[in-house]
Amino acid sequence: MTATAETRPVRAVAEPPIGWRLYRLLRAIPTWVLWGLVVVWSIPTVGLLVNSFRDRDAQRTSGWWVGFVEPGSFTLQNYRDVLGSGPTGGLWDALLNSFAIAIPATVIPIAIAAFAAYAFAWIEFRGREWLFIGTVSLLAIPLQVALIPLLQLYSGGAQWTIPFVDKTLRLFPDLDLAGSVTAVWLTHTGFALPFAIFLLHNYIAGLPRDVFESALIDGADHFKIFWRLVVPLSIPVLAAFAIFQFLWTWNDYLVALTMIGGNREALPATVAIASLAGEFALRENLLTAGAFVQTVVPIAVFFALQRYFVRGILAGSVKG
Amino acid sequence: MGALGDWVWSILLAGGGVALTLYGVRERMDPERSVRRAVAAVVGVGGSLALGWGALVDEKLRGTAAGVIVAIVVSGVLFVGANRWFDQAEARWRRFGALTGGVIGFAVTGVLVGNRLLAWKPVPELDLTPWLVPLGTVAGAVCGLVLTGLTERRARLVAGLGFGVGYGVLAGLFIRPDIFPAMKIVPLLAWPVVGALVFGALAAGRRRQVLRAAILGATVGWVIGAWLVPALGTGTRAEAMSGATFLSLGSMLWITSAPPRTAEAQRRLAERSRPVIFLAPALVFIGATLVIPTIRTLYLSFLGPRGEVFVGLANYVDIFTDQEIVKLEKWPQIFTSALFYWGVGLTLLGIVAGRIRGRRTGRTFEPSGGSITPIAVGVFLFVWAVFAYLRGTIFNNLWWVFTVTIVSTAAGLAIAVLADRARYESVAKSMIFMPMAISFVGAGIIWRFMYIARPPTKDQTGVLNAIWVGLGRLSNSGTPRLVTAAVLVAVVAGLVWMAWRGWRGGAGGVVAGAATAILGVVWILYRLLGPGLGGFEIGPNGEVIADTILFIQETPFNNVWLMVVLIWIQTGFTMVIFSAAIKAVPAELIEASKVDGATEAQTFWRVTVPQIAPTIGVVVTTLIVLVMKVFDIVKVMTNGNFDTQVLANEMWQRAFTEFNFGLGSALAVLLFVSVLPIMYLNIRRMQKETVR
Repeated sequence: MTATAETRPVRAVAEPPIGWRLYRLLRAIPTWVLWGLVVVWSIPTVGLLVNSFRDRDAQRTSGWWVGFVEPGSFTLQNYRDVLGSGPTGGLWDALLNSFAIAIPATVIPIAIAAFAAYAFAWIEFRGREWLFIGTVSLLAIPLQVALIPLLQLYSGGAQWTIPFVDKTLRLFPDLDLAGSVTAVWLTHTGFALPFAIFLLHNYIAGLPRDVFESALIDGADHFKIFWRLVVPLSIPVLAAFAIFQFLWTWNDYLVALTMIGGNREALPATVAIASLAGEFALRENLLTAGAFVQTVVPIAVFFALQRYFVRGILAGSVKG
Repeated sequence: MGALGDWVWSILLAGGGVALTLYGVRERMDPERSVRRAVAAVVGVGGSLALGWGALVDEKLRGTAAGVIVAIVVSGVLFVGANRWFDQAEARWRRFGALTGGVIGFAVTGVLVGNRLLAWKPVPELDLTPWLVPLGTVAGAVCGLVLTGLTERRARLVAGLGFGVGYGVLAGLFIRPDIFPAMKIVPLLAWPVVGALVFGALAAGRRRQVLRAAILGATVGWVIGAWLVPALGTGTRAEAMSGATFLSLGSMLWITSAPPRTAEAQRRLAERSRPVIFLAPALVFIGATLVIPTIRTLYLSFLGPRGEVFVGLANYVDIFTDQEIVKLEKWPQIFTSALFYWGVGLTLLGIVAGRIRGRRTGRTFEPSGGSITPIAVGVFLFVWAVFAYLRGTIFNNLWWVFTVTIVSTAAGLAIAVLADRARYESVAKSMIFMPMAISFVGAGIIWRFMYIARPPTKDQTGVLNAIWVGLGRLSNSGTPRLVTAAVLVAVVAGLVWMAWRGWRGGAGGVVAGAATAILGVVWILYRLLGPGLGGFEIGPNGEVIADTILFIQETPFNNVWLMVVLIWIQTGFTMVIFSAAIKAVPAELIEASKVDGATEAQTFWRVTVPQIAPTIGVVVTTLIVLVMKVFDIVKVMTNGNFDTQVLANEMWQRAFTEFNFGLGSALAVLLFVSVLPIMYLNIRRMQKETVR
C-alpha cells in the first residue's frame, strides 16, 4: 500500500501542477468515500452507546448528539437499573444464562465436529462421500422445520406407536428440558454441526498427507493421530469456528425464545432485551443500556479475535 | 446439590487437577501427554474454582458452572471411553468381550426399565427397579467374558443356551404384571415360522449362513407373535416368562452360533469401529435435531392444530387462501406507481443506449456501463413496484430476499473495491464489518432509535427524522437557505469544471459520474428553492410544522426500513469475502489488462468480476438462505404488524402463540421447500469439488 502511494505522485510530477493536485484529490476520493461510509455505518451504534449514558428525560427530549454539547447529563443510572436486582433489572442473570448456553454450545460441537471432520477426511470407509455431502447439505436447512418436534421432544420425550399392533414404545425419556438452558444448547449443538463439519473438513482434509502416512508407519492409530497431530494442527480453524459459534449462540434469539418460552429464570440476554423492547416506550431508556450490555460481549470477542473470525467466514464461503 | 456438596466436588476436582499437573510436569518427556494433562488440570482447577467461587457468590452461577462442566466432561469421557473400548478389541479380546457385554446389558435393561416393562419391588414400599440396570450390566459383562473365552463351537452353543434360558427366566421374574401378554397359539407359532422362512430365504439368496438367519428371523417373529400382537396386561406370569425366555434364547443362539473371531477379524473390528466412533456423535445429534424433526414436521403439516386428526393438504390450502398471507387485491396500483414508470423508463433508456452503442460495433445490443446500469436499476425499481403492491407474508418475504441479497452484495462489492484503493483500509473495513457481531435483536433495537419519530411539536431524537425535519426547517428559513443554495451552486460549478476536465482528457467515466452528480445536486437545489425539501407542513397561520416519517408504521416502505437493518449487518460479511476474493485475483491479469490499455472500469468488469464470479455465487446463495428465514428483526421491531409479516414470524406465531402446530409445520415446510433449490446447488458444487 505505502509503496504504491509513494510511487504514483512521482509519475504525476511531469504533469502541470494543477493536474497533479486534481489527480491527488481524485486519488483520495476512495478514502474519503470509504470513511464517509464508515461514519454512516457507525452512527447507529454510537447513537445507542451515547444514549445509554443519558437519563430517561434526556433521551426523550433531545437527540443523542445533544449529549456532546451538554456533557453534564451523562449518568450510569441506566446500567445500574438494568443490571441490578430491582424490578427493572435482571439482565445480570440473563447474561449468565447466555454464557450457560453459549459455552457448551461452542465447546461440544467443536469436539463432535472435529471427530466427524477427521473421519470424513482421513478414515476410509464405504459411502464416505455420500454421507459427507448428505451431512453438509443440511447447512441450508431453515431451523424452523425442526422447532416444533424438538420442543415436543424436550417437553414430553419421544414415543413411537408401532403401526398395526398399537403398542407404544418410549424412544426418549421425558427429561422436562423445555424451559431450560440445556434444551437451548442441545439444540444449538445439533444445528451447528453441518456447518462445523464443513468448515473443519475443508481445513483438515487439506493437511499434508505425508504427516499422516509417517504416523501410520510409526504404528499410531486414528485416535492417536487425531489427538497428537490433527488437533494441534487445526487450532486456527477450531478457533475460527469457536468464535463463529460463540457469536451465533450468544446472539441467537429464535431458538432460545422457542425452547425457553416463558421461564424467566432461564432467559438469555437477547430474549431479555427483546421483551424489554416489547414493552414499547415504557422503559425505553433502559433498553439502550440493555442492548449495549448484550452487544458488548460479542463486540469484544470480535475485535479481539477478528483475524480468526474472518478466516472462519472465508473458509466457510470461499474455496481455494 | 447443596453448597457443601459443591465444596467437596471442588476439592476433589482441584486435587485431581493439581495431581495431574504435577504428573504432567514430571513426565515432560512426552509433550503431547503433558499438554493433555495440562488441559485436564486447567479444567479441574478452573472448574473447581468456578464452582467454589460460585458457591460463595450465588446459586445461579454455581448451577451454570456445574452444568457447563458436567456437560463438557461427560461428552469427553464418552468419546474417549468409546475409543478405549474398541482399542481392546485388538489387544485384549476377552476384556473387550466383557466391556461389550456390559454395554449391551446396560442398554437392554436401560431400555426395558425406561419403558416401564420391568419392576423390582421385593416389598410393596421398596422400589429397587433402578438397580436392575447395574444388575443387567454385570450380567452382560459376565456373559461377554465367558463367551469370548470359549472357542469350541459346541461349548459356545451350550453356553449360549444356558445364558439365554437363564436371562429369560431372570427377566421374566421382573416383568411388570400389567404387560403380561395374553398369548394366542396361532400368531405365536405362525410368526416365528414366517420370520425364519423369510430371513432364511433372504440369506440363501445372498449365500449367507441360512441357519443363523433363520434363528434371527424366528426370534424377530417371536417378538411380534408373543409381545406385539397379543393384548398386554391380561396374561399370566408363565406366559410372560416364556415370552422372555424364547426371546433371550433366540438372541443368544444367534450370537453364539457365529464362529469365534479370528485375530484378523478382531483387528478388523477395531479398525472398522473407528469411523463409527468418530462419526456417531455427530450423526446422532444431526439425526435427532435436524433429520428426524424435519421428517416429523412434514408429517405434522398434514395433521390438525393439535396433531390429532389427519387433514390432508388443508393446512397448505389455508396458507395460500389466507387473506394475510397472500394479498393480491392491490395489483392494479402497480401500473400507476411512480416506481413502475421509473423502472420501465430506465430499462428502455438502457436498451436504447445499448442499441446506439451497438450500431457502432455492429451488434444488436452492446452491453456496457452506459446500458447495463440503467437496465439493472430499472429492473430493480420495477420489481420493487411489484412487491410494493402485491402484499402478504409470502410476497413480503420474497421482497426481503430480493432486496437484501442484491443490495448487500452490490454494496459489499462496492465497498471492497473502494477499500482496495483507500488508506487505512483494515480499520475502516473492521468498522463496517462490526455489525456482524451484533445480534439481530440488538440491531433491531439500535435501529429503532434511528427511526424513532417524536410528536411534531417536540425535538426529534432519531437521527433520520432529525435530518428530515431539519431539512424541512432549512428550506423554510431565510439566510441559511440562501447560504446552502450558494454552497450547492459552488458544488455544481466544481462538478461542471471536473466534467469539462474529464471531457478534455478523454475520461468518459469522470464525465458520466460528474453529470450524474450534477443532475442530483441540481434536483436538490430545485427542491430547496422551489417546493421545499424535507419533512414539513405549513400550518393554517403560515407557521412551519414538522412532518416526521413514521419509518416503522408507513406501509409498504416500512419493510424497506426493516431491510436496511439486515443490509447494515450483512454488508460487512459480503465486503470481507469480496475483499479477500479481489485480493486473490492474480496481479498479472490486472497488469496485463492495464498494459492493453483498458480503463479501471473495463478492468473491473471484464477481469475482476469474472475472476470472482464463483465467490459472488456463494455469497448470493448464502444470503438468500439467510434472508429467507429472517425472523428476529421483524419480531423485535414490528412483530409482523403494519404489513411487515414474514414467513418465519408467521410460522412462529401460528405454532407458538396460537399453538396451531399443523399450520405452523406447513409454514415451516414452505420455508424448507423454498431453500431446496439452494441446497441442490450447494450439493452440485460440493460434488464438483470432491471430484476435483
